[in-house]
Parts: sequence; C-alpha cells; structure tokens
Amino acid sequence: MNHATRAAKFVGDADRTTWHDETLWFVRAKRDKAVYAVPEFQDLRELASQIKDHTLSKLDTYLEQFEEQAKRNGVHIHWAADAAEHNAIILDIIRQHNATRVVKSKSMLTEECHLNPHLLSNGIEVVDTDLGERIIQLRDEAPSHLVLPAIHLKKEDVGETFFKHLGTAKGEVDPQVLTEAARQHLRARFLAAEVAISGVNFAVAETGGVVVCTNEGNADLGVNLAHVHIAAMGIEKLIPRLSDLAVFTRLLARSATGQPVTTYTSHYTKPAAGKEMHIVIVDNGRTKQLGRPDFRASLKCIRCGACMNTCPVYRRSGGHSYDFTVPGPIGAILSPNIDMKKHSSLPFASTLCGSCSDVCPVKIDIHTQLYKWRQVLGEANEIPASKKWSMKLMGRLLTSPKAFGVGGKLARHGIKYLPYSLTHARHFNVWAVARELPTPPKQSFREWYQQQANTPA
Amino acid sequence: MSSSREKILAAARANKPDEKPLPTVPDFGGDDSTERFTQVLTSIGGQVVWIDGPEQLQPVLKQLYPESRLSASPLFPGTVLVDALTSTEVLADVDLAVLPGEMGVAENGCIWLPEANMLHRALPTITQHLVLVLDHRRIVATMHQAYEQLPSTGGYGAFVAGPSKTADIEQSLVIGAHGARSLVVLLY
Repeated sequence: MNHATRAAKFVGDADRTTWHDETLWFVRAKRDKAVYAVPEFQDLRELASQIKDHTLSKLDTYLEQFEEQAKRNGVHIHWAADAAEHNAIILDIIRQHNATRVVKSKSMLTEECHLNPHLLSNGIEVVDTDLGERIIQLRDEAPSHLVLPAIHLKKEDVGETFFKHLGTAKGEVDPQVLTEAARQHLRARFLAAEVAISGVNFAVAETGGVVVCTNEGNADLGVNLAHVHIAAMGIEKLIPRLSDLAVFTRLLARSATGQPVTTYTSHYTKPAAGKEMHIVIVDNGRTKQLGRPDFRASLKCIRCGACMNTCPVYRRSGGHSYDFTVPGPIGAILSPNIDMKKHSSLPFASTLCGSCSDVCPVKIDIHTQLYKWRQVLGEANEIPASKKWSMKLMGRLLTSPKAFGVGGKLARHGIKYLPYSLTHARHFNVWAVARELPTPPKQSFREWYQQQANTPA
Repeated sequence: MSSSREKILAAARANKPDEKPLPTVPDFGGDDSTERFTQVLTSIGGQVVWIDGPEQLQPVLKQLYPESRLSASPLFPGTVLVDALTSTEVLADVDLAVLPGEMGVAENGCIWLPEANMLHRALPTITQHLVLVLDHRRIVATMHQAYEQLPSTGGYGAFVAGPSKTADIEQSLVIGAHGARSLVVLLY
C-alpha cells in the first residue's frame, strides 16, 4: 500500500481531516510566536546546523570520546549495529536483573527498533509512560507524530480507551479528568518498575552524559526510581560540548510546541549510588545515510516535529499514512534509506513548497532532499509505471514546441467532445477524482499572441 | 570490545564528510531581569512569590500549602527525612518538597537543580508539589549564560521549568501529569 492509498482512508472523514489540519496549524502558529520572541533565532539555527555538520564530520572521534567519558563516569556502554542487536542487548540487561516490570519514556529509537513487541514476547511487561504514548499503547497503535504521538485522536477516542482499560466513567471526555486517571494508573507502574528505559535527546561528547527533555517528567520519575536505567541513543544524537546544549535547548521546544523550553531538561551523567546506568549506542542504517552526501544532512534532525506541523500534506493525510516510525517530511527522507522499495511513495507525498525547510531548527534542506529522492527512486525503477511513462511522455511533449502545439489543440478539442465517463474515469485519471477539469479555452495563448501581433495597434 | 563497536566506528570513519569547523557560539546578551523571569515562569504555569530571606520560608509555606502534611527539605526540618537511600514507599507519600534552586534563566523561566540540592534524585518529580528557593541575583538572561556558569552537571541535574504538564489529549493543556502538580519559586 502506498502513501496515497493510506491517506485516502484518512481523508475519507472530512471533518476529522479538517480538525487534524487545524490542530497542527495551531501548533505551527504557536511555534512562530515563540520564534519571533527570540531576536537571534535565525543565528541559532545557523549555529545548530554548523555544530551538527561539524559533529557528523568527526562522528567516529566524538563517539569514542563520548564512550570514554561515559565509562569514566561509571556508565556501561553497549553498541548495536541494528535493531535486533539493540533489542537483544536491552532484553539481556533486563534478564540479568531478573526484572519483569519495565517503564519506558518516549523514545522514537526504541519504536524504530520495535522494542516493545520484542520485550512483551519475552515475558517482560513494558509500559510506555508518556501520556500520548500510553494512550496509543493501550489502543495497540503506532505514534502518528514525533512529539504529539496521539495527535490523531479526539478526546472521545481517549475517553473510550480509558473506559475500557483504566475504568474511567463511560462518556468521560474531560482532558483534566482523563489525565488524572492516567496519572494514578501510571504512578503505580513507576513505583513498581525495576528497570527504566529512556530515549536520548542529546549526548554530550565532552561529559559523556545524556540529556532527556520531557514536559511530563516521566523520564525522571521512571529513571530515578528504578534500579537500572537504560538509555537508547542513535549515533546522530551527539554534540561536542556542554555549552552546545544552550543552542539546542533554545531551539527544540520552541520549534516543537512553541514553549520557551521543555518542563524538564534532565542531564544524566553518572548512575546514582548503588544503581546502574547503561547506554546503548545504535547505528541501524545511520552510518549508511552518513555515506550518502545528498541525504546525510537528515542526520542533523533533532526530532522536534516542526516540519510535520507545517506540512500541508502531513496535516491532511495524518501520520499513520506514512507507515514509518518518523512520519512527515523528515520521515520521507529517512525512510527510503532504510527500505527504498517499501517507502518509495513517501518522497512524493510532498508539494515541495519548502515550508519544512523554512521551519527546520537545524536547517536541513528537507524539500531539496525530497526532490533528490524522487530522482534516485526514478533511476532505481522504484516509481509506479504510470507515473514513469506519463512523465516521460510529458518530458517529450514539453521539449518539442511542435508536439506541444498539437497536443494542446488535441486536448482543447478532446475534452469538449470526449464523454465525461472517459475523461473522469476513476482509474484512468486519478487527478479528476476530486476535481473538475477546466472548460477548455477556444484558443491557445500562442494563437492569441499571434493574433495580437497581426492586429494593428 | 564488541565487533559492532568496531563496525560502527569504521563505517562512521569511512562515510563521514570532510571536516567542517566547529563554530564559536556568541553570548547574545539579553534581559536577565526578575520581571522577565517572573513573566515567563508565570506563562508556563509556575508561580513566583517574593520573600525577604530564607528565614521567612516556613510561615510563607504554611500560607501557600495549608493542607500539606508531609514535607521534605534540606532547608528546614521537614516531616519526612529524605536522603539518597530513602525507599520508594516513603518518597511516594511526600506531598511537598522545598529545595534550593541554583540558578534561574529569564528567557524560559527554568531553574537549575543539581543532584546535590535534591535529597533524592526522584524527589522533585515524585512530590505532589515543588517549591524552589532562589536568590534573585542568580538569574541569568539565556541558556548560554546558564551553561557558562555551571561548574559541571554533576551525576544528575535538571533544568525545571514549571509544573509537570501535558497536552497529549487534543492539545488541551493539563497541569500535573506525572511529576509535581505545582511549582512555586520563592525569590529572595
């Protein structure tokens, strides 16, 4: 199933599509307000971009420096080449402690590696503790957004889910009441957990520490109560210096939700006395992306989700239509790196309007990369035959003025005389499914122009 | 050493681009006033209360949290004794934690709270209500100045900006997700 087919399901509910679109635009508007309040915001974007470019250009050195520092701090370091190894390492740590109760704070990397099903199938109870993540975990769904995992759901949906799983009253839709129910439900899990898993927002090579940003405090509560902390980080999370955090923490929340900063910006550097801290450093295709000059800038992403909130296609097609851990514009350039065939339709899920690149806090040229992926996919024969042949034909038509003139004449008359059922055949002309064709003009511009030239002024 | 370590490092070495310079980050200056700090913190759900000095703590707390039964603090003898080894069961009952904040940041209303000021790492989030006591002369303008002034981040430390909150249900802001339900900063 391609993006368009999955999106068709989402847009089938017109009211929900409009609501989804407006909700995300509201977040985008909040972002703008927060951004304009910082005079040096554009300078910060440039600095962040340069810091990330520099880090990627010395990634091996910084990884080694980070490892050395972290080990000196008493942290256990593990390396995982792919998702399977990541999952195996984490299961192994949990088993070494004979633990069965695990709490997890939002981490797109563990999501990318499908850690939850792996742990569950091995008898480990793993509870997602971010409210949005918990909602979709109870519903057995995937997150539909990087920062707002349950953005596709209405409060009625959440009310129904909590009625079923948490015993709230039937028909309860007040977000305050629902959140309180989740607070009580999750507090019991926090108190009982033996192991806590977190993601990593930033890893500092200089200190060997990791930084986790949340609004709910779920990472802190989980990690600081459990005996063992496992932090899963992609190799691209590195930044060189502690002071670089100033640049990124000023950009992250403002770009994501329009907040001046997340409620908790927590620095985990050493395990607490008598406890254990593990960091799993994961590649899973990232070094491959590093080797693609056209696409390596995608590794600079700090997962703020700003590109999704602004994308006219994402807002109207929903995160699930992308069928990838990271949806939206950034997901559409990350996913073909992982599986070109499976995700071949994603780089086409864009208007190439460039709005994603305009809001990106680390200045990734997202829309340019989407355009480049289309060419790579075309050369690799990964685009549908209809698109390929129609583009070829169009290309030939547009390079020959004579063919273009004849083609135009044929179209102007053809539309007039061809039966509606043929010009609007659903399978033949997808364009016309939701659109009417224009009334053909009597003459072409060229004909009109010539007529003007022949008419004395 | 694991083979994956070598594999990842080798691939990073082989695939990285030519070295790019690491930029110097300027100090952008900015407004470090208590007014700015107060305005931003209030806008994100926190509250600022002025006190004359740390000796005035307890009467003010009594007024702010008249219902509080179990408090923990390194600043005065609370009703619960908390240290790094306190059990989860005891921690779970604390309804008020009063901790010294190290530094405030005016641009985003956050306060630096190092491990040494927490009694237990989980205390700032497990408590129902959090009070941070802060010297107003320790407010800086931006995160650049904040990190500049940190001696180190210690074993653990957090910038705390307001009470725990979420907007995961239809973008409705709800204060009090998993961590503290309220945050009051006592400025002196």
